Amino acid sequence: MQSGLAVKATRVGIVVALFAIWEMLSRTGIVNPRLLPSASDTLATLGDLLQRASVRKDLAVTATEVVTAFALAVPVGAMIGFLIAENKYFSDVAKPLLFFAFSIPKSIFLPMFILVFGVGFAQKVGFGFFSTIFIVIMSTTTAVESVKVEHLTVARSYGATPMQTAFRVYLPSMLPVLLEALRISMIFNLTGVILAEMYASRDGIGHQIATWGENFQMKQLLAGVVMIAVIAIAFNELVRWVETRCSHWRT
Amino acid sequence: MQPLANITPLKPAGAIEVRNVGQIFKTTTQDVTALEDVSLDVKPGRFVVLVGPSGCGKSTLLMMMAGLRQQTSGTITISGAPIPEPDPNRVGVVFQEASLFPWLTAEENVEFPLALRRVSKDERRAKAQDALKLVGLDGFGKRHPHELSGGMKQRVSIARGLVQDPPVLLMDEPFAALDEQTRMTMGDELLRIWAATGKTVVFVTHSLTEAVYLADEVIVMSPRPGRIVDQLQVSLPRPRTYEMLSGDAFGTLRDRIWRHIRKSA
Repeated sequence: MQSGLAVKATRVGIVVALFAIWEMLSRTGIVNPRLLPSASDTLATLGDLLQRASVRKDLAVTATEVVTAFALAVPVGAMIGFLIAENKYFSDVAKPLLFFAFSIPKSIFLPMFILVFGVGFAQKVGFGFFSTIFIVIMSTTTAVESVKVEHLTVARSYGATPMQTAFRVYLPSMLPVLLEALRISMIFNLTGVILAEMYASRDGIGHQIATWGENFQMKQLLAGVVMIAVIAIAFNELVRWVETRCSHWRT
Repeated sequence: MQPLANITPLKPAGAIEVRNVGQIFKTTTQDVTALEDVSLDVKPGRFVVLVGPSGCGKSTLLMMMAGLRQQTSGTITISGAPIPEPDPNRVGVVFQEASLFPWLTAEENVEFPLALRRVSKDERRAKAQDALKLVGLDGFGKRHPHELSGGMKQRVSIARGLVQDPPVLLMDEPFAALDEQTRMTMGDELLRIWAATGKTVVFVTHSLTEAVYLADEVIVMSPRPGRIVDQLQVSLPRPRTYEMLSGDAFGTLRDRIWRHIRKSA
């Protein structure tokens, strides 16, 4: 327990030290404060920005896009992944292709999304969806493969219907892998949406960050970076917390 | 598949009849005959053990008795009726290790077959408690499988097989993954449970000692193609004891099985 506590203390220490170094570099002028505003100034700006209605609206826009893209990509991807994993032929044919598709950087397709959807909600959600779906498909096939044949045979020998097998064997077997997949998918999804916003958009927090950057508003830019980092970390930790609660399922 | 409409009177619950059963596995390159012309009768309440080297089809035969696999030719009846699909009211199955659901507690695992039939929560719990008590796991119901030893896990599996009170219990190498001491203890436990419940048991194993120690009758099978090469009646008195293992009668039976197996291996 003591060592666990020590690890936590060291971890907090590192974060505090990073902010301290940041503050010091800026205050002493080792790094030009116009390029790197101090940590305290940045956090003050962050508080200030969060009061602004326009920033709140941008956050709401981004959140809506992220949630929409996620809510579309996860079920669609899971369905495709499930179909692929359940059919040996599909799986043999499609799996290498998926790996090919997955290895391509998705950002090079962004101009095409703008041409097809124009600049707006559909383009950003579409690109977020596109950024996310491959990892969802691949994770789902992994999750289905983690279902043990022995467990399926047990269910069959006790007369389980396909529905019962799905909910009582497949789902609980897959849940730990799926939760991890959900977490990683969200990282891809957030990256996709924010990238689309920064590239071409009229609103959203990604667009704001790009604008602040272009106008050399470093305080606002860094505040935006901290804001998005905190949101991403919070979501990640939330899912990780659920994951640890069902970690004993992995036996 | 046979029509279910033959109006034959039901044989006594727990009787197993296997008639001229064959099983051919088709692969892309060739057809493999896993079982050929296998016939056997198991009377209700008997303890029958199937032994034979790997690939003799003993597990395949067991899976067909469970309705988990259909034979290519011949007929199998359980309690007088064919078994075209698994029927937990007639047959309980106990598998090799790792067949418990790790996300359920011991008692939830035992309740699983009842939950599939939408038995009420109270009745389920009561029956699971009885089954766990029968296998000597009273008080362990709330534990998850990873908190149980290998022997205890197999006790839970047996309880799950018995919870619907089927007349037949089929066991596919249930103790194969256990260490030898646990295995001996589990053998005695199984015999106690069998004596207490009067089930028909068909038990598949690789261990000749285990076979003779447990069985009323040992069926010896040979591979390629799988068929029955010998049937031995084990007339050792019950309850079986550890001392019998070193007796002449025991040795004679075990040697006879070994000669068959050596020939086919």
